[in-house]
Amino acid sequence: MIFSKFNISFLFIIIFLSSCSSMNVTEETVYSGDVKTVQASSTDNEDISYDSQAIFANATVYFDFDKTNLTSKSLQTLKSVVDALNDNSKLNIVLSGHADERGTREYNLALGQRRADTVSQYLILNGVESNRIITKSYGEERPIANGQDEASYAKNRRVQIN
Amino acid sequence: MKKIFLLLIFSNSIFSELILEITEGTEDPYRVAILPFKGDKKLSSELENIIINNLKRSGEFYVFQASDLLSTPDKEENIVFNDFKILNVDYLVMGNITNGDVVYEIYDIGKRSKVRSSTVFGIPNKNRQLAHYISDGIYEEITGIPGISSTKILYVTQENKYRLMVADADGENEQILLESKEPIISPSWSPDSRQVAYVSFETGMAKVFIQNIATGERSVAIENSSQISSPAWSPDGKFLSLTLFQDGNAEIYILNLRNKNLTRLTNHYSIDTESSWSPKGSKIMFTSGRSGSPQLYELDLKKFNSKPKRISFDGNYNAKGSYLPDNEGIVFVHRSNTNFQIAMKYFDENFVRTLTEAKMDESPSISPNGNVIVYAIKDDGMGLLAGVTLSGAKFRLPATKGSVREPSWSGYLR
Repeated sequence: MIFSKFNISFLFIIIFLSSCSSMNVTEETVYSGDVKTVQASSTDNEDISYDSQAIFANATVYFDFDKTNLTSKSLQTLKSVVDALNDNSKLNIVLSGHADERGTREYNLALGQRRADTVSQYLILNGVESNRIITKSYGEERPIANGQDEASYAKNRRVQIN
Repeated sequence: MKKIFLLLIFSNSIFSELILEITEGTEDPYRVAILPFKGDKKLSSELENIIINNLKRSGEFYVFQASDLLSTPDKEENIVFNDFKILNVDYLVMGNITNGDVVYEIYDIGKRSKVRSSTVFGIPNKNRQLAHYISDGIYEEITGIPGISSTKILYVTQENKYRLMVADADGENEQILLESKEPIISPSWSPDSRQVAYVSFETGMAKVFIQNIATGERSVAIENSSQISSPAWSPDGKFLSLTLFQDGNAEIYILNLRNKNLTRLTNHYSIDTESSWSPKGSKIMFTSGRSGSPQLYELDLKKFNSKPKRISFDGNYNAKGSYLPDNEGIVFVHRSNTNFQIAMKYFDENFVRTLTEAKMDESPSISPNGNVIVYAIKDDGMGLLAGVTLSGAKFRLPATKGSVREPSWSGYLR
């Protein structure tokens, strides 16, 4: 009895499918996709460190496009930074590397870090203790010049020493 | 002077509302007639508008509405196929609305037969999504490829604050996921599109966070004192590839999300970053400066101790690659002369196809059906989103206010 019922309904399905073999039948329910907004609480105290650190060692060095090597002008600047650090043994510094907006953001973040590391290595080679230096990168995220021209780009390819 | 002017504009804006406009369509679109759905009149016209816009902006459809037609049948028996044939209509779509649910049917005019009957159950206050589901069903039936109207796009805006935003693929229904005073970069979806990973500078240096979209719960991907960036989910959702700077240089690692174990993938004194997974998760592509300029490399995760293989050779800047979902090729940022453009290379071809022609195009992201690439452009110094379909249609998602960048396309949500 049960078997015959099953057979009959099975037959109906077959007939239904064969009568409309080229038709698609679908059923679905809409996905709610709810979103919650979050506020990031900034713990970036860079501004405070700018103020509290002595300004003797504040300087900026610049780089060529996609380059991380120090130019002769940069070396001049860094010599005076070394002097300032040697004169003020309690002074610690943050080296933040930056890139211009050309090229991809993540590659530029890595490029900014390499620039900061290059400056750090120079300072360490010239006698500054490594534990006085913090390096980080902002990539292309914090330009100081907003133009889309070589003069602006050149200002943005930099390491800020604070 | 210019600065003050910009500040005034920014202070007036809360959202960078995106408006989609098509700049170019395909040469040979499908010709589809959409009749108003019967039932709830208000909902019917709302759905009709969204569906027609979705189909038009795919660039692949020419849409006929009731006023363009010779007859507007109210049911199957009353369809006069010749009335549609004479207008060269390929398909006819009709539907019924009952209690917020929609049953729609698609007729093939050439075959004079019904080719699809679909039911979509709506939920309150999600009429746009209901319309997107119907659009995707129509798109899928006619083109043979799943539609992407019901998918979402993640992107970053910058005005006075940085915001991580999510919107429907048409730029509507924009919502804020995260607001921060510090930069947010590199947003990326989990494969199930329930979570996002991104880089936030809120702690003073780049860190990768993972955030649940529905609950807002968020945490750092891994506790580590170094800078961490460039997150990309493995296709099975179990791993996150990342760039860590703990070795004094950018190196790529794989993070096991369950036990937080880190496995180092690259070991080179030059920059290695921007990792992305092949569709089956067996390979990782990344950008490396090891040849002296940024180029794309590939690592085979299935082979023991495999060495990175260079896969880009054309030009001196090829970066941020991603795989096409069918694994037939890659899409990446390519510099030709001084311009940065979005380019594509199929694995079985030995040349690069540039897809865009502006000066500073970046951050390409591929739709889950592989048919559309959305990317960021700079227009007069202002960031906005643009797109190109593989069939040649082009569109823009310009922000009316603020600067928009780094689009990332979700997976299927249907």
